[in-house]
Amino acid sequence: MYFPLLDYESTTGAWLNSARMRTAIASKQSGLRPNDLAGSDVPTWIGRVAGVESLDLGPWASRNNALAQLCLAQGTIRQTVDALVERHGSARVGLVLGSSTSSIDRTEAAYRELDNEGALAPEYRQPLVHNPHALGLFVAQHLGLTGPVMTINTACSSSAKIFATAARWLQAGFVDAVLVGGADSLCLSVVHGFHALQLVSTTPCRPFDAGRDGINLGEGAGFAVVVGPDHPQASGGPALTGYGESSDAHHMSHPHPEGEGARQSITQALQRASLAPAQIDYINLHGTASQANDLIEGRVVEALFPASTVCSSTKGWTGHTLGAAGITEAIIAIDTLCTSLVPASLNLEQPDPALGLHLARDNQARELRHVMTNSFGFGGNNCSLVFSSASGAEAPCR
Amino acid sequence: MQVAIRGIGALGEGFSDWDGLRRVLAGGESDAEQVAPRPQLIPANERRRAPLAVRLAVEACSQAVAASGLDAADLACVFTSGLGDTDLTDYMCRELAGERKQLSPTKFHNSVHNAAAGYWTIATDCRQPANSVAGLEQSVPVALLEGVTQCLVENRPVIIAFYDIPTRSALAELFANREAFAAALVITPEDDPAALARLACEVEADPAPQWPQPDLPPALSHSYQYNPAARVLPLLVASTGSLNAEFSLPLSGGTRLQCRVSPTGATPNNPAQEVNP
Repeated sequence: MYFPLLDYESTTGAWLNSARMRTAIASKQSGLRPNDLAGSDVPTWIGRVAGVESLDLGPWASRNNALAQLCLAQGTIRQTVDALVERHGSARVGLVLGSSTSSIDRTEAAYRELDNEGALAPEYRQPLVHNPHALGLFVAQHLGLTGPVMTINTACSSSAKIFATAARWLQAGFVDAVLVGGADSLCLSVVHGFHALQLVSTTPCRPFDAGRDGINLGEGAGFAVVVGPDHPQASGGPALTGYGESSDAHHMSHPHPEGEGARQSITQALQRASLAPAQIDYINLHGTASQANDLIEGRVVEALFPASTVCSSTKGWTGHTLGAAGITEAIIAIDTLCTSLVPASLNLEQPDPALGLHLARDNQARELRHVMTNSFGFGGNNCSLVFSSASGAEAPCR
Repeated sequence: MQVAIRGIGALGEGFSDWDGLRRVLAGGESDAEQVAPRPQLIPANERRRAPLAVRLAVEACSQAVAASGLDAADLACVFTSGLGDTDLTDYMCRELAGERKQLSPTKFHNSVHNAAAGYWTIATDCRQPANSVAGLEQSVPVALLEGVTQCLVENRPVIIAFYDIPTRSALAELFANREAFAAALVITPEDDPAALARLACEVEADPAPQWPQPDLPPALSHSYQYNPAARVLPLLVASTGSLNAEFSLPLSGGTRLQCRVSPTGATPNNPAQEVNP
């Protein structure tokens, strides 16, 4: 399968846009900082996007929508979407978004300001915001898109699965292009929720390190434009070439001990891409820095791939952006096809001796043709993606 | 895009299964006062703690799978709820607005939108892909589109679950839904002789898509108006008939999902091929 990507853009605590992503990765500049989320005293580090608070979205106000708007103002993504609307008509451009928190940040704020009768204050009477589809509704309205729109909420795999749905929609033929994307925002629900699960680290997270002791929450937004293989603007640049989706059937918040679901999603993605494991040049691991995830994911990858396959987790840059992790790490992986630079697993000092992974301890320059990214979420929800460049380093890149 | 409907499950105010809903649709007596699903698939100790949204969806799915004769472990899942678990949203936001901010870890992991899909795949040992999608008022057409597309493009059977619980919190002034409703469909790609009905869906451009106003008994009119999951009723009504039925559901600002249901005359225990050789 071959679904070219016409454009992509990413905003995280470590970079405002994809151009700055290249700089931040090349200079190993992390976006993590001590937790300064208003109203939260959890001792941890977070990947917060600066300046989101100052955006005024009026009736669409929420931190999550503001993150999406900020990202859509970067680079050329807006122009790329506008040109597709011009070419195909707005009803033929699909919109598939992923989010886990949706706009719960705004519902939290509304509850802090309930009136004496327990009713919402007027500025919080926003039915289009206080619901799990808020991101889809906002982006459709913001960009003037009128085609099919769906929000996927499968926790931390949400904005990875958007690529699988986009590929199916294009194959079914009722859209000519799909804007996929995701946004998830820092809020008390996730910082205090993961704290209740005893999963947050008091220090910058250390994925796959022997001394890792938990995750850092982050926030971000990302978007990519996916088209079919025969689209007139397809140029031989990076393309989606495989996806795999599976369930653990094990536990709501603990991964399957043998990583059965993860193994299935990785294997399916390779099958759809018609690739052998040895052909994957880089894997952007889910790598949350939790004890369980890294051990189980690491063992699955070690069993399936040769020792030459280079891997890293980029959560040391961004933190775990939850519902935005899929698109964020897809874009990091896709961009390596253009930069030929594998990002390091930041904060890795003593690799976990229980694992024999080939982890990138520093940035590595190398030729890349096929890359993979993994996303695993609560509910045992797994998604793996493969992206390929048609002709290696000569491929036209944005 | 055409699929076969192999099984239907439903529960809500006044009906505890698809047969009960058919009686209500035909103007008959309701068979249940309170919606209190206790799906046996979930172990008793977990069932007590499982949120209503989860129990609703799992019960509707259990019924649909039983009627289909298929193995739940083979079905890809597409779950949708328009409003999400507003009980848990209320619990979390109330706790976080206070001083303590101490969340129950179980309630936190149950608060994800894919909790029902997670419980279902765990209960049925299903390792198939599980999607959990949202479309607010358009949740039913959005989930139908995702389910039918997966069924045909991936050539695999799919279970689609639609469920929404009453809004009982501060959000009730925004979402006036007072009734629980859930339904589930098992669909297959092949021209299936055991199909209860065939369902054809197409995305069509429409600058001003409108909801159909099916002829519903008064007992169902509140749910149809305010419960996003109950917007599947036009499809369920069409599935009770003996004639082809066409209807369209608003999918987005500029599209509608044009649907046609063609009954086969089959019932779960009486396949169409025997009725109509």
